Order: sequence, then structure tokens, then C-alpha cells
Amino acid sequence: MPAPRRARTRLSCGLAATAVAAGLAAAPLAAVPGRLRPALAWLAALGLVLAAAAALRLGSLLGPALVVLVAEHAVVAVRAGARVDAAAPLVGAGLLLYAELASWAREANPRVRDERAVLTTRAAVVAASTLAAVVVGALVLLAAALPAGEGLARLAVGVVATTATLALVAVVARPTATRAPPG
Amino acid sequence: MTRRPSAKIAAYVGVAALTLLAGLSLGRPELVAVAAPLAVLVVAGLAGARDPEVDAEVRVDRERALVGDQVTVSLDLRAATRVERLELLLVVPPGMAGPDGGPGGSRLAPRRAGGGPGGSRLAPRRAGGGTRTWAVAVSLAAGEERTLDVPVTCHRWGAYWLGDVHLRAHDRFRLFTWERHLDGHAPLKVFPVPDALRALVSPFETQVSTGSHVAASRGDGIEFADLRPFLPGDRPRSINWRATARRGTLMVNQRHPERATDVVLFLDSFLDVRGAAGSTLDQAVGAAASLASAYLRQRDRVGLVSFGGFVQWLQPGSGQAALYRLLDTLMETQVFATAAWKGIRHLPPRTLPAKALIVALTPLVDERGVAALFDLLARGYDLAVVDISPLTPAAPAGGGEWGELAQRLWALERETLRHRYQRLGAAVVEWTEATTLQQVLLEVEACRRHAGLAPG
Repeated sequence: MPAPRRARTRLSCGLAATAVAAGLAAAPLAAVPGRLRPALAWLAALGLVLAAAAALRLGSLLGPALVVLVAEHAVVAVRAGARVDAAAPLVGAGLLLYAELASWAREANPRVRDERAVLTTRAAVVAASTLAAVVVGALVLLAAALPAGEGLARLAVGVVATTATLALVAVVARPTATRAPPG
Repeated sequence: MTRRPSAKIAAYVGVAALTLLAGLSLGRPELVAVAAPLAVLVVAGLAGARDPEVDAEVRVDRERALVGDQVTVSLDLRAATRVERLELLLVVPPGMAGPDGGPGGSRLAPRRAGGGPGGSRLAPRRAGGGTRTWAVAVSLAAGEERTLDVPVTCHRWGAYWLGDVHLRAHDRFRLFTWERHLDGHAPLKVFPVPDALRALVSPFETQVSTGSHVAASRGDGIEFADLRPFLPGDRPRSINWRATARRGTLMVNQRHPERATDVVLFLDSFLDVRGAAGSTLDQAVGAAASLASAYLRQRDRVGLVSFGGFVQWLQPGSGQAALYRLLDTLMETQVFATAAWKGIRHLPPRTLPAKALIVALTPLVDERGVAALFDLLARGYDLAVVDISPLTPAAPAGGGEWGELAQRLWALERETLRHRYQRLGAAVVEWTEATTLQQVLLEVEACRRHAGLAPG
């Protein structure tokens, strides 16, 4: 694949990620009426700028971009009161899709020629991850709706899940293992 | 292989943790549903991440090539486990180029150590340019073996090590990378293409062995030299009957024998002056290869003295083996910066045989090289100097008026130096970018005839 096409891969992934991020940033604006909308619009704009920057130029902004986009949806969720937002699995899947596309854009080095099989597999993994994310989000919402999970039990599950995630943070943040190359 | 987490893993885990905490504290299951996919992907990635087992070797299809040739570098890959994405980055040393329009073309910072005419050379040398790379990403199934062929074009002479390869493997979710560096040892020597030289500098004196040069002495040969009276022992076929009839006494022909000569190529490698047209050392090495090839073709013995910070020499020899020895030595010629004074006395006496023709290829910029040539003249060697001019008359001197003045002064100094050599009996010709080696050699020969140095 010639270099310009490889550069196009990078650009198209970046633009696709930005488009997904724009959708994620714009969606909550419709759900929030009144005086909160301008503030949320500013938050959406900030999220979009961060997301575009992360996808197109600065990969280190991926975390902050995700945080701002999630914060926007958190505001909407809190404002919704007792009603559970059924679109949350789609938001989760969208966030994952955005993050994967942005990472792909950063990975797609124009100096490296990717074989077609590598690109196809990557696209398949991203698509499958997105679909799986919808399923996982839906399962979470279904689990939340179960009557057995009221009160203390549900809180315990939440605490365990959060603790597990924080443990994951600790695992990921540990020093990297280095193994000498064989031979 | 060294494992490294990617940047996104920290982002995913951090965002998932924050969102889960927010969901827990606010009592919103939607936030958990948003965070769960990120956390699940990281868990799945961590569970599935295994160190890839990949073995790689680098081969080159030949060990010797000429400038302009294309050689094939083969990367043999063997994977014991499945590798979702394996990036291979082959460092193409300066002086060589990867495939056109290929993935190469990334320019790394110039490397000083281990650089050929820049990069990974057998002998370190001052870097002349950036190191280029060629990179590709493949996926390998468990147990798969694959060979990737990379055509590489040789643009500059030199001795290279090919096989500097960086491997980077990724897992399915691109959460981790494994890196490894292969420092392969696939040697490649790239020789300059010798110019076809029709005329060479003739020596003033020849050796006793038979060759192609008409000797000044008299003996058995083809070229007529003189007549002399018949002496007992002369062969009857040497009698010149016409001269005998005219003079009334037996006269015999005397002839010049055809003899070989010893030629020593004296390469001044103290400094390499690089300009738009190229480098003086490149020119000198190319000319030395051409001269060696041409002299050896006419059965002369050719030796080499690479006189610089690092002194190398080869005693004069003849035949194809001598040519290869000489080219191998030439490939390792390098500029080695040193302030130590080097003189002719550092060379073994047999390196510079008596009656040898010394052809010096020098830019005449280092005092030690200049002094060595004076020393050779003082010792009575037959010396021809090809002054590889670092001055480019076509290019304007930098630094404006002062730069132009400095360049003119430098040119005058060089001219004075050449006159000093000529006064001592050496033929000196300036080799500018506008002239070819053949023209320079013809000019040297004319200069020697004019000074009465060369026969004929």
C-alpha cells in the first residue's frame, strides 16, 4: 500500500472517531431543556475538541476526552431522576468505538505498511467489541432492573465491581515486566 | 521481548474506575453500563495477553555488490504462537535505499557510531546522512513461517552490516506491545563501479618482471631503441642488415623490453570534504578502485596506502586476488579524526618498493598528508598527484564578500602548493567536478612528459 493511502487510513480513522465523538457530545443536548443546556453545550464543545485532538493529534488526551463525554451523560442521567436511560448501552458502545477508532488513528503510522489481513482483523475486532459493548451495557441495565438486587446487595455488588476496577488500575500501573530475548 | 502497556489501557481503566465510582455514588446504573464495556475490554485483554514467541533472521542474497546494484534482504519469521500484528522495522543504512514508494522512507536521526558511510558499517565513520527505515506489519498464525523480501539499492560504496531489525508485536485489543531488537550480522560489501580507463600514468622506471610498459632500458622487446655494433653472443636475428650494409660492419638492433611496474595508490584519508557534488573521499576511493583495476589488468603490481588517522596498507601484488584484497581494504577506508602526527616512517618499507610509481589521491587539505607527499618526493619516488579539489567554482562561497575572498585565498594557497610539488618534480593535476578521471590521468601524463619525467 503506498504511503498516501496509509496516511488516508490514519485520517479516515481520526475523522470517523471525531464523528462518533460529535454524536456522543450532541446527543445529551437534546435531552436537557432549559437553562442547563448552554452549560452542557460548553461541556459538549470541550469534549468534542478534546476528542478531536485525541483522535487526530494528541493521543494522550484520550482519557480526558472520555471523561468529559461521560460527564456530559452523567449530568443527563442525574437529571432524569428515577427513569433509567435505556440508551446507556449505546452510549457505552459509542464511547468504546470512539476510543478504538482514535487509538487506531494514532497507531496507523504512515511509515508502516499494514497487510490487508491485519487491517481486516483490526476492523473486525473493533466492530465485535462495539457490538459486545452494547450487549454488556444491556446486561448491566437488565441486572440493575432485577428486583433481587435491591438495597444493600446492589450496593455490595457495586462496591465489589469498583474495587475490582481499582485493582485493575493497580495491575496495569505496575512496572512492566522485561524478559530477555531468547538466544 | 519487552512488554509495554499501551497508552489507551490507562485511559480505559481510569475512565472506567471514575465512572463506576460516579455510578455507585450517584446510584445510576446507566453510568455502570457506560463504564462496563471499557472495563470488560481491559479484563479480556489482560486475560488474553500472552508473550508472543517469534523468531526472526535476516539474510542477504549476496555478500558483494556494486554501486547501483539491488540486493535482496530476506527476513525469515517463525511464530510459535499467534501474533495479531507484528511490525518489522528494517534499518536501511545511509548509502542504501529501500524500495521506491515502499514503506521505508522514514528518516531517523543520523547515527554516529556503527555508521557506514553513515549507518551500520563495519567500521564507524562520520555520518553523512540520516538512517532510513523500511517497515511492514503482518499477522502470523501459530506455527507459521514466512519470508519477507526487501529489495535494497546500493547507492554508495562501503562495508555494511544489514540486519538491524526492530520487532514490535501487538495483542488483539492493542493493549500491550512487545518489543525486541535484532542486531543481525548480514555483511554486505558494496564496491564502486570502476571507470573504464583507456590511458594510465606511465611509470618512470619499471621492474624486472614482464609487463605492458615499454621500459627505458634496453633488452628483448618489440619497440626499437637503438643500433650498436655486433658483439659475440648477439643473436643473428638481431642483425640490422640495412644498417650493416650502409656502415660496412655488422650492426644489431637494440630494443626496449616490456616490463611491469609497481604502482602504489596513496589515499589521503585524513579529511573528507563534502560538498554538493559529493565527497572527496568518495572520489578518491572510486578513483583508486578504477586505477587498481586498470593497472592490474595490464599485469602490474598494485599496492595501497590509506594514509590518514587510521593507516592501512597493502603490499603490491598482482592478479585477481590482489584486486579483491585491495577493494576489501578500500571499503574499510574511513576518516578517523586524530591530532597525532603521521609520517611516511610509520609505513613498512616494503609497502613502498623502490622504483614504484606512486599515484596520490588527495584533497591537499591536511598538513600531514601534504607533508607526507613532500617526504615521498624527497626520498626520490616517482610521484603523480591527483588533487581532488574540494573547491566548487560553480557554487558561490557562503559568507558573502568575505567568504568569496576566503575562497579565492584558499584557491591561491592550493595553487602555490601545487607549484611547490611541481618544482620538486611531481606531476600535480587538479581534479575538479567538471572533469573525469580519464581526463585527469591524461593531463598528469602530459604534465610528466612536459617535465621530462615520463618515457616517450
